[in-house]
Amino acid sequence: MEIKRRDFLRLFGGISGALVLHGCGLDDVFDVPASLLEKAKNGSGLESWSNTICSLCPGGCGIQVRSIDGVPVYIRGNRVYPVNQGGMCPLGLNALHALYNPDRVKAPMRRSGDVGSGKWESVSWDDALRTVSEKLSGLRKEGKPHQVGFLGYEERGLMRDHISRFMRAYGSPNYYQFSLTQNDTVAYQLLQGHAQVPAPDLLNARLIVSFGANFLEAGYSPVYYTKLYSHHQERQTKYVQIESRMSLTGANADQWIPVRPGTYGALALGIAYVVIREELYDKEFVRDHTKGFEDWIDRGGKKHAGFKSFVLGNYYPERASEISGVPSATILELARQLGNTRPSLILGDGGAIANTNGTFALMAVHSLNALLGNFEREGGIYFINEPPFQKHPDVLEDAIAKAGNHQTPFAQSEDDSFPLTNFSIESFAKNVVAGRPYPLSVLFIYGGNPLFQTINHNDLANALEKIDLIVSFDSAINETSEYAHLILPDHMFLEKWGEVSNVPSVGFAHVGVQHPVVQPLHQTRHTGDVLIEIARHMGGAVGAAFPLNSYEEEIKFRMKGVYLSGEGAVASQGVRQLWLEYLQQRGWQIGRYASFEEFWDRLLENGGWWNPIRKKRNWASVFRTSSGKFEFYSQSLKASVDRLVDNSGGRQSLHNEDLVLNKLNISARGDGVFVPHHERVPYEDDLPLYLIPFHVLPNRDGQASNLPLMQEMFGYSANRYWSSWVEIHPETASEYDIADQAWVWVETSVGRVKVQAKLSHAIMPNVIAIPFGLGHTSSGRYAKGHGVNPHWILRNIYDPISGKPALEATKAGISLVI
Amino acid sequence: MILPRSVAVAVCLAGEILLAQELQLPQNPLGGRIVFEEKKCIECHAVGGFGGTAGPDLSKVRFFGSTLELASVIWNHTPQMNRKFRQLRMSRPVLTESEMLDLFGFLYYLRYLGEPGSVARGRNLLEAKGCVGCHMVAGKGGTVGPDFEKSQRYASPIYMVQAMWNHGPAMLEQIRKNKLSYPTLTGQDVADISAYLRQATAGTTEIRMSPGNPAKGKALFAEKRCSKCHIGDGAAKRIQTGLVRIDLKKGVSEVATLMWNHGVVMMERMKRESVEWPKFEGNEMADLIAYIYFLDFEDKPGDGQKGESIFKSKGCVDCHKPAGAGRGPDLATIKKFDTPIQMIQLMWNHADDMEDLIVSGNKDWPQLSAKDMRDLFAYLRKNVRK
Repeated sequence: MEIKRRDFLRLFGGISGALVLHGCGLDDVFDVPASLLEKAKNGSGLESWSNTICSLCPGGCGIQVRSIDGVPVYIRGNRVYPVNQGGMCPLGLNALHALYNPDRVKAPMRRSGDVGSGKWESVSWDDALRTVSEKLSGLRKEGKPHQVGFLGYEERGLMRDHISRFMRAYGSPNYYQFSLTQNDTVAYQLLQGHAQVPAPDLLNARLIVSFGANFLEAGYSPVYYTKLYSHHQERQTKYVQIESRMSLTGANADQWIPVRPGTYGALALGIAYVVIREELYDKEFVRDHTKGFEDWIDRGGKKHAGFKSFVLGNYYPERASEISGVPSATILELARQLGNTRPSLILGDGGAIANTNGTFALMAVHSLNALLGNFEREGGIYFINEPPFQKHPDVLEDAIAKAGNHQTPFAQSEDDSFPLTNFSIESFAKNVVAGRPYPLSVLFIYGGNPLFQTINHNDLANALEKIDLIVSFDSAINETSEYAHLILPDHMFLEKWGEVSNVPSVGFAHVGVQHPVVQPLHQTRHTGDVLIEIARHMGGAVGAAFPLNSYEEEIKFRMKGVYLSGEGAVASQGVRQLWLEYLQQRGWQIGRYASFEEFWDRLLENGGWWNPIRKKRNWASVFRTSSGKFEFYSQSLKASVDRLVDNSGGRQSLHNEDLVLNKLNISARGDGVFVPHHERVPYEDDLPLYLIPFHVLPNRDGQASNLPLMQEMFGYSANRYWSSWVEIHPETASEYDIADQAWVWVETSVGRVKVQAKLSHAIMPNVIAIPFGLGHTSSGRYAKGHGVNPHWILRNIYDPISGKPALEATKAGISLVI
Repeated sequence: MILPRSVAVAVCLAGEILLAQELQLPQNPLGGRIVFEEKKCIECHAVGGFGGTAGPDLSKVRFFGSTLELASVIWNHTPQMNRKFRQLRMSRPVLTESEMLDLFGFLYYLRYLGEPGSVARGRNLLEAKGCVGCHMVAGKGGTVGPDFEKSQRYASPIYMVQAMWNHGPAMLEQIRKNKLSYPTLTGQDVADISAYLRQATAGTTEIRMSPGNPAKGKALFAEKRCSKCHIGDGAAKRIQTGLVRIDLKKGVSEVATLMWNHGVVMMERMKRESVEWPKFEGNEMADLIAYIYFLDFEDKPGDGQKGESIFKSKGCVDCHKPAGAGRGPDLATIKKFDTPIQMIQLMWNHADDMEDLIVSGNKDWPQLSAKDMRDLFAYLRKNVRK
């Protein structure tokens, strides 16, 4: 069933509140079980508030749920939770729509027809688990546990550990995560020796220059950033946003600098040129904590050109301007501002890394942080310690598991297409189809909707059809779970135990604890518990790896470490960071709880724990490269390329090196390969316009499309509702005689979509942008049949270094619909 | 009536015991800190440089006496404080009894928590005190003791003293063997050394304690047999070194260094008397010192008769007349004078109304010394209460 906007507005108009709605003909909006309605009608009206953590996006906001007689009716931000401090985004505020969504999968189901036929039959949990366990046990008996894969999404912390433990005990090295931020951190790995996303100190920086990082809308935790951003006036912080299309962050910045897609790295290097040439960089930091800045001589006596020589030789402002489209005067001015304003901070994300040259672009951007000496410095960037969770003893693998875990990981491309990542959806799909290095027999899918989100939709669909048994834990049937053979629905987050810890780039260690604020409405089960159950069905070493009876116990067990460490504090009203700093300066911990039970109760009461005090860090832990320094000359990239060259016959022939570098889309040669530099994007020159997808806050990963209010809000900034649009600069539009709101075809070499034009000065000429999130062919009554999915007309092209989809590497034509 | 001395002592002790039972000691400064932030004290008062500047930084003022001494300071500057509230358009916070107790506990704790150390001083001290004779640090030093440089963990000041204390006898033996002098420490020395080691060691994990719990410290005082030689809170012992008489209202590491300095004498005496050297683990030393530190938190009993005359001379009686004949309530009907905190809380919460009456009536704000407060409390508790 599909619902149109008009139907929804007619249903929804003027009424609010889940319980009022039911019985008013609004079952399409709120599917509230009869038992809850009964409570609501005849209960004593007792109000209660519970704190938990929202997990509709990875941001990890603390929320307060108001319940009447145990029935959740309202949600607001938890003001004592340090990540969002009471703030909320529209999606979180609408979590009740997700709880009472009429399209939730209410019990385990088995597909009884073809993919997409919509034919499903109910199955009991016992039968479903028996099916899965027998299949898994059979594979172990055959010595093929490695043929089981687990495709997660954005889970972190304890759930990721839990799944890893399951897979390791079972005997498969094939646990992967597909997410929109997939493989974003390879550049960090190359420069700083680890992939941890740095936490920027927005509060204390005086100048913030963002290369494509739309942190207010599409960052890891937009509400956290919004809170920090809200201080910009009192702190007189200047924000500069560099991106092709002005995002929400750009609209709120002091200056928006439009840049041609795929040229962020060149622009960053142009800025580096001025900073270096005018000696505006932090000489002490560069001298003591970086490698490869100056020219150098290796142990064999060979001379190497350093980053400084490369930049000064190649990226003078006029050249950077020619590549990026940013005037050289702007480059000069921005570079001088950066060099003369301390602390000034550089961010890189979004468009900067969404291209075939994304890794090198982010390396160039991040190098500016090194030039400015921003590491572990107020107003700069920090690396946050993991919460001190208690650890389980190591998994005791039996012989079958050991053999399975030693198999080549499935998604690792055999042809070394993406040498610096252990997972790419592209390699995954290709390998499944080709059955290499072995067939994939079982795939668990947990979270996300890769088939909708990916750019290799057709390849992935073909791959999924090849798998014997796909088990999805989704709580709704979406494009991906249409391919599942079994759906074992998870609880909605308000019904379950969970934990959200250390959201990347948030500036302090933290753990938010989710606990059920309402009993599960349907016959769903926690995936963590399901894994424990499956492990126990199999028994032996697999079952023994899970001594605890439930995922709730798991969280409690792990949190004991946090309690025992004495670090940080339960998020509590009234105690801010200042007191923790005061104590830390004097060698104290906050210590208040007489027992773990007391700590645990307070934790649930207040929503979580945080530690704003950063531990002492030595430089060896900041830079975990082989030199122990920030490597302008990436030795690990050099080692990877050397390995690839050796695999293709060695350096005896220059041809081998050329082959490898060409395959990696690297046109540079010699030392230039290993320092941040600009690589040209292989655009199709016969098409005139750059096509870029963009994300909007209410539905940034496309999974909120079945929440009608999020559909309503999706196009609020463009005044377009329940449909997609294409943004186009008026100058460009006039070239094609396109008026505002005109229907147009946007056509790429992959396909075309029909959308309405939105003329806007907030996009640079010759670039067009379509929002991502709509265009579902499944996913529920409110999602299906509205708008278009721009990812499905993007070229299937990747950053060859990181394996990240190159979302901004497609060109398009545009024409009026006649 | 003049009581015999022995009876007077007994009454006095009984009074102390009574007070000790009535005034619950804080277990941790956190509760009070929460009040301090929630009630917006922090908007005007900084602590350790963190907070507002309209009022003084409370960790620097150091007016920490007993509960009623602190109450006296706060009471006497009420008009100034109220003027500030009005200037800043803030309302005067209303406090419950438990909030008041927590807040007073927090303010009392501040000095106990100590001050941050100086890295430069710590570096010099390590050499001056001969520590590097046995311990390796920054590439030089002896190898008898643990190598500070390689240590994966480093200790907070109080933890360091606890570790030193525990291996005191062994250390003394080494010192004597090597003909070195026993290193005595003063003031901030331990905090300084700890600050330096924090920087100099390779480790990144600091071993820290929680601020001590006086109640736990009291139990430890008996358990570790400190009470064999020292008076804690009243019971007479063989050696009359009452801790109350020594000024121990110092930072915890300062008290700890006094204990350390005292160690040699103590070791010898204990050896003679075949008493085992007391060792501390976990948070014990912090707890023990908290107990000692909080000995003065509770007030000595006041004089009810003097209290009555203060009640009259300070003009309280002008408003608080019997049978509700005055503007204020008859205090005899208020059954909330069991502890000094109850009295302080009532005074704090009605200070706004009282100031209006005083200003309107062309009177001066009644200044009350700590002794006045004690006497007034004794009067209200014993004589006014029905």
